[in-house]
Amino acid sequence: MADEPRDDEFGIPGDGPATERIGPFEANGSGVPDFVAARDHVRDELVRFVRALRRAGADVPANAATTAARALVVVGFDDRDRVRTALQACLVTDRADRTTFDDLFDEFWRRLTAGLDSGGPAERADDGPDGGFAPLDASPASENAEETEVSAEENDETEDTGSGRERWDHGAVVGRGENAADNEEATTASYSPSGRRTSVSVPGIANAKLDETFRELTGALAELAGRRWGRGDDTPDVRRALRASVGTGGTVVDVPERERRRTAVQACLLVDVSRSVLDVLDRSFLIGFLRRATAEWRDVRVFFFDEDLREVTESFDARSSQAALDALDRGEAEWGGGTKIGESLAQLRTSSPEAVSRESAVFVLSDGLEMDDVDTLEREAAQLSRRAGAVFWLNPLAASREYEPTARGMAAALPYVDGLFAFAGPDDLAEIARQLDRRGQHGRIGYEYDPRRTESNQHSTIHPTS
Amino acid sequence: MTADRTATFADATEADIRAAFDAENYVAGDEISTTVSLALRLGKPLLVEGEPGAGKTELAKVLAGGFDADLIRLQCYEGLTAESALYEWNYTKQLLAVQAASGPGSGALGTGDRTENDPERAGDSVFAEEYLLERPLLRALRDDGPRVLLIDEVDRADEAFEALLLEVLSDFQVTVPELGTVQATTPPVVVITSNRTRGLSDALKRRCLYLHVSPPSLEKERAILERKVPELDGRVAAELCGMASRLREEPLLKPPGAAETIDWARAVAALRHDGVDGSIDRDEIRNTLGCLLKEVEDIERVDDDLLVTLLDAAETARAEAD
Repeated sequence: MADEPRDDEFGIPGDGPATERIGPFEANGSGVPDFVAARDHVRDELVRFVRALRRAGADVPANAATTAARALVVVGFDDRDRVRTALQACLVTDRADRTTFDDLFDEFWRRLTAGLDSGGPAERADDGPDGGFAPLDASPASENAEETEVSAEENDETEDTGSGRERWDHGAVVGRGENAADNEEATTASYSPSGRRTSVSVPGIANAKLDETFRELTGALAELAGRRWGRGDDTPDVRRALRASVGTGGTVVDVPERERRRTAVQACLLVDVSRSVLDVLDRSFLIGFLRRATAEWRDVRVFFFDEDLREVTESFDARSSQAALDALDRGEAEWGGGTKIGESLAQLRTSSPEAVSRESAVFVLSDGLEMDDVDTLEREAAQLSRRAGAVFWLNPLAASREYEPTARGMAAALPYVDGLFAFAGPDDLAEIARQLDRRGQHGRIGYEYDPRRTESNQHSTIHPTS
Repeated sequence: MTADRTATFADATEADIRAAFDAENYVAGDEISTTVSLALRLGKPLLVEGEPGAGKTELAKVLAGGFDADLIRLQCYEGLTAESALYEWNYTKQLLAVQAASGPGSGALGTGDRTENDPERAGDSVFAEEYLLERPLLRALRDDGPRVLLIDEVDRADEAFEALLLEVLSDFQVTVPELGTVQATTPPVVVITSNRTRGLSDALKRRCLYLHVSPPSLEKERAILERKVPELDGRVAAELCGMASRLREEPLLKPPGAAETIDWARAVAALRHDGVDGSIDRDEIRNTLGCLLKEVEDIERVDDDLLVTLLDAAETARAEAD
């Protein structure tokens, strides 16, 4: 099999014999099909397709275009499904990228076959450098602030009518925490798409159960080597070997080995402080969780985000929770703006790239209600997933039994998340720890495997309010 | 198909592959046969991913069976080493040979003095072909006939092992320090399976074509049961498929694959009296559910409500089969 496609190996779409074709096949005017033009067209469109896939975040191997070209030679162009299957086998290396492939393949096929037909490749009026491969539902970038505001308002309406329905039907529940136990009716949130900023103020902080559940979570997450030694195979344990040699008259029969116990956690905590989150979350629980994380985990970075991202790790070094809150207040950390999750993740990637590594567990604490471009969120979530050891999404709304991640932002991010969990109280931390302990960070974990969802007697009543 | 066995794989058309699958009772959609055909024509390893029980390993087996080729299987596991995958030296045999050579009246390696004075020769003799223990990868490279190398569940092996595979997969060769480079005269067909318990390296993916085997559709699963469990009434098989399909919509820890459905169908068929082909009932489901679901939490999830839903799905599937 030749590595490069030979001119006469291309099949031609259409009904009649190749010599009757028009378009590139009569370009030389001699009646002889111009196979070179057809070959160049196919190659150009293939390269364009591969570039578009990469730009959309798909993991396309470096040599994939060459393999795909060879595959096209084998399967020809007369059967769209065969071409789709062949290119999928060559260009896709992860199931998660199949949706991206499917979205872009239609446009590739349109351009490919149009170019092999009479009129040549049909350019669209809005074709950019990559032709028509921009996502069909992508909104053009806003040219000024007014347009952005209009867009935000439109998004607002969309939330109210579309994905917003999910919110009123399934979401906005304070959850199963102590408050929920005390009051049969759960509190619901009033959702403000853009939000408004308010100063930090939090009621009394008391979470007796948090200590215990946090320890469980730490144990389940620990991936880094701590200071204490345990049995393992990293280095010879000379002391144990000598001690054992006493019984054999000084002869070392066996050299035991040891390694550092994996007890340390490296984490990056991204906390959505928009009003839609804070209205449904027990703030004392949140602060307690963040303080314990910064105090007990080895390497922790804490970021707040709403419309932009800011690091607040130092604020949590304060001695008490109240001091942490005061520190936040002094630092002009404010709660309750609108949410641009994708934009904030992009900011994290560019401004603090060292905050996330392959050893980090990243916790995104958010309700997933994206007020900006969902494509950005999807792209950034994919990037984050590649860079982090594991990404966990903690969603206060998932405490509801009926919760399903159908909100646009949450649905877009979900494929790139190792686990989506409820986050309303210590019990939720215990459940996260239980699942991590049992099935690992990349196992089948998440809210859908939470046995409490199937129990009928522990749920709050949902009362949608506006 | 077996006249010129070395040329068979490279020349195989999609029709040949479908015929081979058919002969082995393997029900495969166009996506699978096209991708397999492409892998054979391009001479690229095929990386097959999908849920456990989706038929990934079976794909390699039927490919070997359908083309009358040898199947060489390397089952991966954590801690798998190059020695276990490539080759080992038969130390016992080497030791015996050295002892025999240095002992009085020795034969094979000559006298002890000779060995001592000519260590190079001694080294040659114990690192010769007769002391080599071939493991699956080396065997796959050195054999001549048509063969399928199945590297099963590669995601269970360590990343270091993946690196070892790279040379094998790209150049179909491996270097044995004592013997030199061993290169395949005719490369084997390579099928690598993964359950996606961890991400594979880009280098490995780059060398392979990719195929994701999805859980079978209702129709495909019915066709599988008809082939694999012919003793079960077709309408009952449809019911089982309807229920298995419905169960896959539940967030189960271990969703049933086609293999589990086949086990379930066999169990139901075995427990039924001859000629009984009535609809499946609750007790029958409860008694045999362990063939389909392998986690206690999953079995507990099948409560009365879900059972009713499953029976509805079974009824619908049976009606469609009729």
